[in-house]
Amino acid sequence: MNFAANAPLLELLAASHALGTLRGGARRRFEAVARDNATVRAAALVWQSRLASMAELQQPVAPDPAVWTRIRNLIDAEQQAIALQHQRNAPAPTAAPATSGWLRSLSLWRGAAAAGALATVLAVVVGANLREQLRSAPAVQYVAVLANDQSAPAMLVTFDPKNRQLTLQRVGGYQEASDKSLQLWALPPGGAPRSLGVIGRDAAMRMPASEADVRAVPALAISLEPQGGVPSERGPTGPVLFHGALIEKTL
Amino acid sequence: MPALTPDAELTALLDRVALRDQTALRLLYDRVGGKLLGLALRVVRQREWAEDVVQEAFLTIWRVAPDYRATLSPPMAWMGLIVRSRALDLLRRQRADRAQLTQEFDEVMAETMESDAANPMDTADASEQAWALHQCLAQLENKQREVLSLAYLRDLSHGELAAQLKLPLGTVKTWIRRGLDKLRLCMARFA
Repeated sequence: MNFAANAPLLELLAASHALGTLRGGARRRFEAVARDNATVRAAALVWQSRLASMAELQQPVAPDPAVWTRIRNLIDAEQQAIALQHQRNAPAPTAAPATSGWLRSLSLWRGAAAAGALATVLAVVVGANLREQLRSAPAVQYVAVLANDQSAPAMLVTFDPKNRQLTLQRVGGYQEASDKSLQLWALPPGGAPRSLGVIGRDAAMRMPASEADVRAVPALAISLEPQGGVPSERGPTGPVLFHGALIEKTL
Repeated sequence: MPALTPDAELTALLDRVALRDQTALRLLYDRVGGKLLGLALRVVRQREWAEDVVQEAFLTIWRVAPDYRATLSPPMAWMGLIVRSRALDLLRRQRADRAQLTQEFDEVMAETMESDAANPMDTADASEQAWALHQCLAQLENKQREVLSLAYLRDLSHGELAAQLKLPLGTVKTWIRRGLDKLRLCMARFA
């Protein structure tokens, strides 16, 4: 079958290929010829792009507002994860490399006096590191351990007012299904639950929050929601898996 | 200042999305979200599934927007391809999950051909290229247009089409063949 020289037949085969109804051995033969023959390949690509426009001609249907909320939540969670990754990969801003340089040159030294000098140098470096760490350490002001109905802890939540963020750490073995998301809720007294955000799949994550989000909130809860979560005003739609008291640290 | 064509406007939004501009993604969603949901619904048939498809498609668009320019596709066609491929993925997953319940799956997807009921086409935001296809599809009989659309959008073989549309296999083959032949002659004028 020399379809490469038969224009109408070539067009028809290319169109059937793009449509998807050319199947099995016929499809494989057509693709094999297309790889060798530029005319056939061009016809196939032209029809692929022509029929791709089929997707543009469908009647629009207005999506539920929750769809955008879920998209935004998933993108926020992804951006957070990327930011966290950058933070982790950034080189430590301390004198660690300098220390190892010192160590290497100092290791040539002999004698107690030299060793004493080394100890002094290290003590200064370590002291500087400690001060640096203390300065950048999160100031934890609120803590909650969220547990399931059997009181098995699943999530440790802390609020850091200085960096205005919640830190979440998974402590149990719970992992939601791939088409579900966990969502964190503040349970203000006498008010409807308020979403604090959708929880990513990582073992630990941070989410931005203001002190107003957690102040005077006696408890937090985590519900199981469709992937990407649900809008805050709707409240949890899935089961509440974990909950616990939010405690303000006074020291 | 001349008004931007839909193609130019959507391409500009995709360029901004490529630069991680979340506002642009929201504008893009407002512009084409409904259109893409309509497409997803046509492929998967169920509202809940279709909304999942649109959600996944927008995450994909967000991630791969930097690659859009290199594809040389009109913006709606490119986004349509993403939605179609996500929708087909979902159907494959559903089919695998329900392997023991094929009967039920066929029932869900079944659709009867009403030869006189035109499935209206919509050209809002369509690319130039889609306009040509629209003109040519409009010349087909409704049933020919319908089998061609379903074959493409749901990636169905002749046999699967016959099963879903409850039509004899020979009829489906004839309609497709005639439909493609008319399409070929008509599209040649736009080349």
